[in-house]
Amino acid sequence: MLERLMDLLNSDVGPDLLRALKIVFLAVLAVAALGILCAPTVKPGKVTSYGLLRILFAGALFAVLGYQATWQMLGYTNPAFVKFMRRYNRRPNAAEKQVMRGPLLDRRGRVLAAPVSGDVWGRRYPLGEAAAHPLGYYHSTYGITAVERVCDPTLSGYALDKRDEALGKALFAQRAAEGEAVILTLDQRLQQKAYELLAGRKGAVVIMRPRSGALLALVSSPGFDPLNPAEAIADEQNAPAFNRAVQGRYPPGSTFKILLAGLALEKGLPQVYACPGQGYIAGPSTPPIRDSEYYAYQRKGAVWPGWGSIGLKEATVHSSNVYFAQLGVESRPEAFNDMMVKARIREPLTYLHASGGNLQSARGHVPEVTKKRAIALLAIGQGEVLTTPLHVACFTAAVAADGRMMCPRLSKADSIEELSRLFSARTAGQLRAILREAVSRGTGKGVDLAGLNVCGKTGTAQAPGGEDHAWFTCFAPQRAPNIVITVLIERGGFGAKAALPVARALLQEADSLGYVRVAEEAAP
Amino acid sequence: MSRKKQQALGPVGTATGLFLLSALAIACACLAILGVKLANAPVLQVEPLFPLAAYAVGVPLALLWLKLSGWKGDAGLVGAVFLLCGIGLVIQFRMGSFSQGLAKPAALLPFPLGLAAFMIGTLLTGKGRGAWLSGAGWLAYLAALGVLAAMLLLGRSFRGGTYLAGNLNPSEIVKPLLALFLASYLSRRQKAFGDTQNGIPVPPLSALLGLVALWGIPMLMTIALKDLGLMMLLNAVLIVMLFAIARRTGYLAIGVAAVTAAGFGVQFISANARTRFDVWLNPFADPTGKGWQILQALAAMYSGGLWGAGLGAGVPQSVPIVTSDFVYAAVAEEIGLVGCTLLLLVYATLFSRGLRAAGAAKTPFERLLCVGLTGSLAVQTILNVAGVTKALPMTGITLPLISHGGSSLITTLLIAGLLTGLSDRK
Repeated sequence: MLERLMDLLNSDVGPDLLRALKIVFLAVLAVAALGILCAPTVKPGKVTSYGLLRILFAGALFAVLGYQATWQMLGYTNPAFVKFMRRYNRRPNAAEKQVMRGPLLDRRGRVLAAPVSGDVWGRRYPLGEAAAHPLGYYHSTYGITAVERVCDPTLSGYALDKRDEALGKALFAQRAAEGEAVILTLDQRLQQKAYELLAGRKGAVVIMRPRSGALLALVSSPGFDPLNPAEAIADEQNAPAFNRAVQGRYPPGSTFKILLAGLALEKGLPQVYACPGQGYIAGPSTPPIRDSEYYAYQRKGAVWPGWGSIGLKEATVHSSNVYFAQLGVESRPEAFNDMMVKARIREPLTYLHASGGNLQSARGHVPEVTKKRAIALLAIGQGEVLTTPLHVACFTAAVAADGRMMCPRLSKADSIEELSRLFSARTAGQLRAILREAVSRGTGKGVDLAGLNVCGKTGTAQAPGGEDHAWFTCFAPQRAPNIVITVLIERGGFGAKAALPVARALLQEADSLGYVRVAEEAAP
Repeated sequence: MSRKKQQALGPVGTATGLFLLSALAIACACLAILGVKLANAPVLQVEPLFPLAAYAVGVPLALLWLKLSGWKGDAGLVGAVFLLCGIGLVIQFRMGSFSQGLAKPAALLPFPLGLAAFMIGTLLTGKGRGAWLSGAGWLAYLAALGVLAAMLLLGRSFRGGTYLAGNLNPSEIVKPLLALFLASYLSRRQKAFGDTQNGIPVPPLSALLGLVALWGIPMLMTIALKDLGLMMLLNAVLIVMLFAIARRTGYLAIGVAAVTAAGFGVQFISANARTRFDVWLNPFADPTGKGWQILQALAAMYSGGLWGAGLGAGVPQSVPIVTSDFVYAAVAEEIGLVGCTLLLLVYATLFSRGLRAAGAAKTPFERLLCVGLTGSLAVQTILNVAGVTKALPMTGITLPLISHGGSSLITTLLIAGLLTGLSDRK
């Protein structure tokens, strides 16, 4: 009997039979509902039969039903709803069924995300968790995020156009036949390599082209599976779904000295300060600011004699907190504030413009300074200053690009844009020479790869409640830099120990891929 | 069926007739769903059909039980309960809730267990026997506190709710327990809560404070559990019961105002509640994130239109968590606005019959119990449907008899059984 039933339902009369069943179902349901409504009831009570409550319950239900009808029957009159339906109503019987979602490609045309044929919600991510943060996910239960979200109009085959604001049922069917590809500036191999080098530690890597702002890698660790983001979203302790590279806010530590050094060079401040071993006290109630050597000597039972009187170059090479604290105090507050505005520290950095919206970083934070003394702690990247790894990468890139701070770009379609003129070309050249020495004989020695002329700055940022955050930000080669690499390891300890080796391995990888010695293809 | 004939049939006969009609509708739905399933994958699995078989066999047994026990209550009430159950089973069958078959008996068992609970319910309150339950008021109160305490100590959080091992959600049973307690407590203080001045209820301070203290403990526990949906529901039941005991519209007006204010205020305590509130006000602010679920639910309804896609023929899977809280979106997509109208008509009839039974009850306790139990079902239905259609913010509670969830189904059938018993005053 079951076989006969299967034959019947599988035969060509299927759809007609189903339609008939649907009609019969509704008809019988109607008869049953009316039967229930009219069935004899108990005799009304003597006291009350709660007419008001009965009317209230039934009234509420049918008021809700009326509201439901405004969506179910008249949804097409609501522009925002029409927009949503056209984009995200992935019903196979809708026009979207014919649309194959476009792929995401890296700068060399390699696949970062690809559709799965026959599955409306299917998606394939060759890099898996290594690229889940910048690409986002496309999931029937958890929604759409990051690049998948803002590029959705292009990917799903209808870019935003005038019709989008129009109304009417017919519009639901109007879509392009194919989703288009979106080409990103990422390099698949650098992205993968950077994720592997972080090895599950909490941290971030930003790799960019200094003169075009193109992001070659945007990595946040720990990663998560974009096909199954449920656990990552729920894990509030490790926050693997959180994009640390653009949303994480950390004290920048000594990487911030790049901005102060630039400020000093621009303004021609007196540049030699005495740097005693005991440190520098900015004000009566502030603790002394000391160099890390003070503590290293202390641990060995010795007394740190200090650097003596040194200039900006030596101070940067050795990353002297005592020097930069004094330099900060000598800077004019207006000049410092102006530098913070130009470096866009307090603003979100927009790294992708698309028809479905923009992708932005978090805002950094730095207080508006009125007193010189307040700059002492800020000058060494501590105190009330917070930046995202993307912010640090962008001001490092400005040094590499003759002082022009470029807008970071994740999409090849975005035009190259200068955000601000952070330093003069002369200052930038001097800074490059200083940062070169910081690598050739200073704190960044470990990254001095032969023939690459790497310039860079370490950072070890104190943060309450645990180990220091480890930073390293660098670019290469010195004369005409083609690549900027910024590495952050959360609670990683010394920048030179934790973050620098990651940057070193990435420089080697980038060099082998032709990103360091070969000139940038899209210089303005 | 003429009225005379119905009377000749007796309530059980009428209920049986209504059940046969329901079963016919369910059978049509099943065939349609099977047709779609077989067209996609021509393998017929028998195990997922077990709950439907249990429906075909179990409901007649329950009706036979009513016949043998000489029940003479409200046939419409029973008819509505079993029609809604059938629709629930068929929708869950369609959504694949039973597809794991015997490998996951937790999905197959709730309906047979629920039928048993239904019969126990009729046994407890049938033939005018319900009055003795009044003595169990304090016991019910303590049991409710015990269940909530167990959830606080042993429960683990999942999707914003708290569950015990095996995804059991015993907080469902708190609803009838507290309704029973309130019925017992308030019916003994009928006079105190009936006092009014110029239409404004002014119960004596001692009575009011006593109630506030007793009611406060389970309320604080639901807040600790972060089950704000349950808290809203219980308070709505309290208000309905206060109104029922005093029959003063003032309670209703004050209560509705208080619940609205509390619902509005809750967003300042809980981030989760604030998110739901924001999504309700403007789901389009974050359409691919927070607004995703409700907008997909509305898209499902729009796709269903007036007549529906047909059972099995829609794509309600694109609505997140569609089998439990959002099941109404699946129903609306597949049976359309017409089907929804019929469904809500059946719900409305169920509540109306429950309240009629309350009016006809002999003792104030039974009357209050009836109102409380009916009220809990009605408020739950209204809040769920309103949440899914975006008429109100989501409260995270299930649709009685239709949502997936064993604890919910068994509890609701127990309540239905108690109401069925109470509707028989002999």
